[in-house]
Amino acid sequence: MTRLLDRIPESIFRVLSAVVILTLFTIILFPLYFMVTTSFKFDKEIYSELTWIPRDPTLSNFRDVIVNFHIPLYLSNTLLVALSTTAIVVVISVLAAYALTRLRFPGRAVMARGVLFVYLIPGSLMLIPMYLIIVKAGLKDTFPGLIVANMSFSVPFCTWLMMGYLRTLSSEIEEASLIDGCTRMRSLWHIVIPLSIPAIVTASIFIFNNVWNEYIFALVLAQDDKHKMISIGLANFYRSDYYMVGPMMAGSLIAMTPVLILYVLAQRYVVGGLAAGAVKG
Amino acid sequence: MSQETLSRPALSLALPQKKKRSLFAGDTRLGWLLVTPALLVVLGMVGYPFVEAIRISFTDRMVGRGPGRWVGLANYEYILGWPGFTEMVVRTVLITVAAVAIKTLVGLILATSLNQEFRGRNILRGIFMLPWILPTYIIVLVWRWIFDGQTGLLNQILMSFGMISENVPFLARTGSAVSLLIFVMVWKGYPFYALTFLAGMQTISSELYDAAKVDGAGRLARFRHITLPGLQQVMGVVILLSTIWTMNSLEIPMLLTGGGPSNATEVFPLLTYHLAMQNFRLGEGAALPIMMLPVIGLLVLGVASYMDREATQ
Repeated sequence: MTRLLDRIPESIFRVLSAVVILTLFTIILFPLYFMVTTSFKFDKEIYSELTWIPRDPTLSNFRDVIVNFHIPLYLSNTLLVALSTTAIVVVISVLAAYALTRLRFPGRAVMARGVLFVYLIPGSLMLIPMYLIIVKAGLKDTFPGLIVANMSFSVPFCTWLMMGYLRTLSSEIEEASLIDGCTRMRSLWHIVIPLSIPAIVTASIFIFNNVWNEYIFALVLAQDDKHKMISIGLANFYRSDYYMVGPMMAGSLIAMTPVLILYVLAQRYVVGGLAAGAVKG
Repeated sequence: MSQETLSRPALSLALPQKKKRSLFAGDTRLGWLLVTPALLVVLGMVGYPFVEAIRISFTDRMVGRGPGRWVGLANYEYILGWPGFTEMVVRTVLITVAAVAIKTLVGLILATSLNQEFRGRNILRGIFMLPWILPTYIIVLVWRWIFDGQTGLLNQILMSFGMISENVPFLARTGSAVSLLIFVMVWKGYPFYALTFLAGMQTISSELYDAAKVDGAGRLARFRHITLPGLQQVMGVVILLSTIWTMNSLEIPMLLTGGGPSNATEVFPLLTYHLAMQNFRLGEGAALPIMMLPVIGLLVLGVASYMDREATQ
């Protein structure tokens, strides 16, 4: 085996890699390709035959989800919750991360260590008490309830990410400003935050993305139609044995568009976040 | 923490001891002030629910029936005595281990293949990230339609190539349902592995490889003695984190198979959900994940120790 692998000339090795990449690439694009093409097909074509390109392209599925299935409402609900959560979490987490990495005070080390543990507490454990607390607080089927639930995992995550970034950031300029008589808060505002913009953008994208893509809290905490999240709206196209495949694919395409745009615009920051081991996989 | 060890000596050289202390003089009050909002969120929305989960696990609380009575360890005894318990644990472990192992393997292969110069590499890397950024629920719902036994795409494709003569209910057969669950977990997860491994590979100095080549080390020897040791840190963190997330993955089994056929894909987070939200037995639903905590705790400790090593390097 070893000998065999070593005897393969470089050129053949490159061909082999190309084959590997191409195969995996096809498997990645396969479901996405059919999601896109199916959203432009009529039901008859979807259920009765296999076509690689829509024979008779139609926008009827898109019209259906927009007019008949309240998808625009679910989208605006989700946008509201995702943006509010992101804004609140970023402010809270940047302050905490700054204190935990830059200031010296008793209790700091324990809290800095605790962030990772809190971040990794399994969601299945939190689901039941979180549900009961939200119900008891009268926040079921409300946006604040969803925001609060999403904050529970976003705050530790964002704090952890920001702490990682601040540790790589030299504190020399900041300490020079302190020696010159600048207060901590002023140097945070004028020096640390401007230098941290890349990390703040990365963190915001991940939080927004996580909330936008969230399913479980949305499922148990917002069951009335007025406050439904897009994830639940789409999952409802599958009812036991009856699938509404056309609307489901059209709705999925609409729901993933903001995520895709965000990703294309900010790919640089997303790749930066990779190094921090930022996202679940 | 590496920051401190780096900046401290320089600072103490530059400043007399007294001045340095005064730099951090107001830190205690300000520190607590800045941490308070985050601390409130964590205590209120993670700490309190965590304690509540433990308390509820000792009661017979059910949905909509008040606070329930104290029943001691009855929920734990019930779960341990439940005939399907061992099977469920074994199933969860097997599915997690299989998914993580395949993700690691495919991730390594893809990273190695991408770790060479060619045109369009950045675009490719961007597309390989798609499974990782797209909503899990959409991906799972699309795969569920593809594998569906009535109108699914896979059946249509196999049929059109004449490979089957009648529809196959892939998600309703034990063997294929478990394999397909693992498949979807891998599909969603391996690009993240590949791209982190690739980032790790690119930090390994090419001089090491050149030197090894001069010494006559073959391709496999170079991979084993240079690439793998260089990736050890990154791989350790990624594999441990991913094991935690894969083990706790509720969305994928819930939307793909719902635990069926006949419990073949009922993993521990899904059983928790079913106990609490379908059978309304909150006490048992709370007790189950608590029993899994030691395993998760060990994994988290592993992650923490890897990160400390990284910080001191």
